[in-house]
Amino acid sequence: MIEQIAAAAILLTTPILMAAMGGLVNRQGGIVNIALEAKMLIGAYVAVVVSSASGSWMLAVLAAALVGTVIGWLFSLTITRLGANMIIAGLGLNVLAAGALGFVMTILYGSSGTLRLPDTVLLPRLLPEGVSQIPLIGRMLAGLDPLTVLAWVSVAALPFLLGSTRIGLWIRATGNAAQVVRSVGLRPALVQDVSTAFAGFFSGLAGAHLALYSIGIFNEGLTAGRGFIALAAFYFGRNRPWPTAAACLLFGILDAAQIRMQTVGLPPRLMGALPYLMVLAILVLTQMRSLRRAK
Amino acid sequence: MTSTLFKTWLERGTGFALPVVIALAVSAVVLLAIGESPLDTFSLILSESFGSARRIASTLSAATPLLFTAVATAICFRAGVFNVGVEGAFLIGGLAAVVAGFSLPASLGWALTPICLAIAAAFGAAWLWLPGWLLARLEVDEVVSTLMLNFIAAAITGYLVNGPFLSAQSGNNVTPPVHEAAELSRLMPPATLHSGFLIGLAILFVYAIWARRTPAGVEGAFVGLNRRFSRAVGISVRHTIILAMVLSGVVAGLGGASHGLGQLYRYTDGFSAGYGFTGMAVALLGRNHPVGMLLGAVLFGALASAGTTIQLFSDIPLDLVNIIQGIVMIFSVVELGRITIRRRARA
Repeated sequence: MIEQIAAAAILLTTPILMAAMGGLVNRQGGIVNIALEAKMLIGAYVAVVVSSASGSWMLAVLAAALVGTVIGWLFSLTITRLGANMIIAGLGLNVLAAGALGFVMTILYGSSGTLRLPDTVLLPRLLPEGVSQIPLIGRMLAGLDPLTVLAWVSVAALPFLLGSTRIGLWIRATGNAAQVVRSVGLRPALVQDVSTAFAGFFSGLAGAHLALYSIGIFNEGLTAGRGFIALAAFYFGRNRPWPTAAACLLFGILDAAQIRMQTVGLPPRLMGALPYLMVLAILVLTQMRSLRRAK
Repeated sequence: MTSTLFKTWLERGTGFALPVVIALAVSAVVLLAIGESPLDTFSLILSESFGSARRIASTLSAATPLLFTAVATAICFRAGVFNVGVEGAFLIGGLAAVVAGFSLPASLGWALTPICLAIAAAFGAAWLWLPGWLLARLEVDEVVSTLMLNFIAAAITGYLVNGPFLSAQSGNNVTPPVHEAAELSRLMPPATLHSGFLIGLAILFVYAIWARRTPAGVEGAFVGLNRRFSRAVGISVRHTIILAMVLSGVVAGLGGASHGLGQLYRYTDGFSAGYGFTGMAVALLGRNHPVGMLLGAVLFGALASAGTTIQLFSDIPLDLVNIIQGIVMIFSVVELGRITIRRRARA
């Protein structure tokens, strides 16, 4: 049972983790990206369509990431070039994306809701099936897919990328003191655009994982607020990759355990509030701590 | 004096018209792309939403919840408080009013409706007091806290309507209907327009007076414009923030009550069709101004009520309304002045 929950938790963590890593970089660059949800949803749709049309999971994943990047870039332009408020623009993009997808689905397939296409190729599993014999972690290993590995590699790489590379420094400097960036001859708006496009890239991948891990169908409710959970995760982890990843893993475990707890008789709808309640509680606790430290 | 007045109204007018024009332009392109005539569609929307007394009534009926959610949003936005939790307070207020409406004794008669409204207002106020207090005391980011509270409200109401308050008679996801005495009366039956619309207008009117003519309302605008200045002249920023949240909760709760007691007569899963977010678009479009918000609410009401009919009689999906709403939201916060300034700087 614990084996199963662990395996399911890792799988459920991946999309949240990818979106959170994108949003984290974006926030370090000074933009709170509330539209991760929109880009995940579009990424998921693109992944299913391309996978079915091309028969290649790799192409599908790349297409989802590319579309996410382009949308992220355009979204960034409204904020950095047109001075739009990032929160409102982000919420607007979420509404727009849901509307656009519903529209496209109705026009192309005659019904909104669920999209099932023939010959959809799922994400491959990296390790041979034999590994599932290994006690405890076997099931988890057998379920590993390329995107999950990429997600955790990015967690490991981001502290270095943000801390010790030039572009990482630019992003952090832009988020903290845009005027400094300007004074050394760089354009903060451009740096922010890059960081938002990066968030779009990872959100697109997150969507592709949601759609192509096990079922290969697209649904308008597929993301189910995961973009907002990702947002909560990097608030929770205060924009640091490892603590944020730990938060994502916690949400993944909760999600996986939720399915089990229903059988024990806990109401599933009420359990759905738990991640959001935890975010609220942790937000309050961290805030209390930092205020006390300030005194 | 008159010229500055003219200028602000002109500014407001373009602020309202521009996002709408851009949204209509985009939807025209979308309609052309699927082989429909934009002009025909727009004139159909116009005639479907304002073509007869019955259609106007259904447009105003669809605008009713938006009046409440727009005012609730505006109260906070003008004070610089980014409350995106109106949706949650709308759900909580709606459920509270409905539960009171069927569980209190029907013998209360005419007094039942005001009691239900008061309960909804109290629940809405308490719901948004929390993020207000957290922001004022602990500087907890209100965008995240209210966003989380929306999900929590949906989960709690979703649980209650499937559990403790589930109707014994009718299947899933609904409460029993409220007593007839608790219902808000229909203004022109058989249309669904109900007296909640009048309450919404009254709230809009009170908001206009409050914002302009009362110390608390003016202080709210000051805090929104400049917190340091407000503090310097002795305004309590903390109190202003909490008050804005609580008042926003009152109005959002009343909106939920109006929807529950006037439109649906019960609480169902999917009680709100995103009214909190559409209300945000309305508030932004109207720049927190009562007249602008009234126009915005009617506009979105028209889109919603005509959209349903159009989906029935043509192949245009209702989702077009969401596309329009999203574009309106994005472009209502875009600073168009910047485009011209940049161009000048480059030249």
